[in-house]
Amino acid sequence: MDTLRLLANQGAEAGWLSESFSYAFMVNALVAALLVGPLLGGLGTLVIAKRLAFFSEAVGHAALTGIAIGVLLGEPPENPIIGLFCFCMIFALLLHFVRNRTAVPYDTLVGVFLAVALAGGAALLMYVARKINIHMLENVLFGSILTITDFDLLVLGLSCLLIIVGLMFTFNRILLASISPDIAKVRGYNTHFYDYLFVMMITLVTIAAVKIVGAVLVGALLLIPGATARLMTKSMGSFVLLSSLLATLSCIIGTLLPMELKLPIPSGASIILVAASFFLIATVTRIVGRK
Amino acid sequence: MGPTIILNDVSLRYENNIILEKITATLEAGQCHVVMGPNGGGKTSLLRSILGLTPFKGDIEFQWQQCKGKIGYVPQKATFEPSLPLTVLDFILLNQSRSPLFFNFNKKHKLKALQQLARVGMEKRAMFRMGQLSGGEQQRVLFAQALLDDPDLLILDEPTNGMDDQGVRYFESLINDLVKEKKTILIVHHDISAVRRLQATVHVVNGILLESGQAEDVLKPSKIERLFNHYRHHSSQQKSGDA
Repeated sequence: MDTLRLLANQGAEAGWLSESFSYAFMVNALVAALLVGPLLGGLGTLVIAKRLAFFSEAVGHAALTGIAIGVLLGEPPENPIIGLFCFCMIFALLLHFVRNRTAVPYDTLVGVFLAVALAGGAALLMYVARKINIHMLENVLFGSILTITDFDLLVLGLSCLLIIVGLMFTFNRILLASISPDIAKVRGYNTHFYDYLFVMMITLVTIAAVKIVGAVLVGALLLIPGATARLMTKSMGSFVLLSSLLATLSCIIGTLLPMELKLPIPSGASIILVAASFFLIATVTRIVGRK
Repeated sequence: MGPTIILNDVSLRYENNIILEKITATLEAGQCHVVMGPNGGGKTSLLRSILGLTPFKGDIEFQWQQCKGKIGYVPQKATFEPSLPLTVLDFILLNQSRSPLFFNFNKKHKLKALQQLARVGMEKRAMFRMGQLSGGEQQRVLFAQALLDDPDLLILDEPTNGMDDQGVRYFESLINDLVKEKKTILIVHHDISAVRRLQATVHVVNGILLESGQAEDVLKPSKIERLFNHYRHHSSQQKSGDA
């Protein structure tokens, strides 16, 4: 990372790159964007295919409670990763476990879990507010890509590697298990395993991306690039690739733009607004193209 | 060669609703077996029990000739979202290969998938979205999927639903070819005249196994009304009356 930051600094001094690149935090932010963008975009296509949009939003919101628990248990307020990881994972797995054992419609169940997690988070925040400056939570809610450290990048890199390797071997089976579970079962695939595996992937990538996009908006970055790509592609392969490209572009442009234009916008909001503008362009193009 | 399937006292109930009651039968290897019966008679439940997709009481034993073979399955209905860009080729590749669809550059895989689609006359629709196809076309693709691994046992749940006449005839000739290859085939079918053409062993199910035998014996006009009566208690009473 030091070499990369040095190169970026030299590039900025030589005038090849914008002045923003002379700052170490900017290079960190762009590396994080390049890591998390393709992954969120790629996984987003499965979220859409499996109709789990509401679920990914719920996991993002549960992060707030996870962070509050982490801080209360003595983790550093700027990075309560253990509380975040444990709570989100338990939240997601428990939700799926209950779903598989009750006849309650899935969206209703997610709504119940989401409400409980948010209520718990709101209650705990009152206690957390006594320990830390509550404004620090803005970074958690809406992302603060510019405060990313080398440790964050390491966690992010490892999470991304784990998920990408997992996806290379299981993408087809996860998709088949959601499109036609009976065919998948007859082929000998353990559909419950692939369901839980996907839930764990979503949870992991959500946790990894909280610092970049924020807990409230991470679900949006899973969805919007996929929704845009769905309007523009004709096959599953191009759907995944375009969604990954759009998510990565959104992360990069959304990180660079506020810096270059000197706008006081949180990284999460700016990334989502860029992603949403792609969606708007694709929608308008589609509507105009049909006329 | 396909397996012999031995059903021994297979029963299935959902809460207080009895779906299947003590079905005992032997489905001989290398033959085409057709399960028929009125709506709600438990045909699909029987197939799902054989496939292990639903819990049941009793025993179902597969007697394979050598090692355990492969099973192909065509479900009664599959729902594909029209806006999802999942093409017909994607769907076959999904079933055929582990290489992720976004990273599958293997021409052999694509060629094999296209050959399978050609077997059911769907190669020209390879780049259509699954959700855009008609019901009959989707059934053809599902049938191509079932044939992918050259299965020894083929289980088909109303495979000709929504198919046009040409599709049905094509399907029948394919089934006859597979029987010649000594595959065991189990089909849920509701079209009596089509079943007569298949030259299959027919099993009529309406909660219980009402009758088994060759199509020309079971599907006699004199028996059809009794066997395909929708209401179970009528069938049961009739059966006890016959006895």
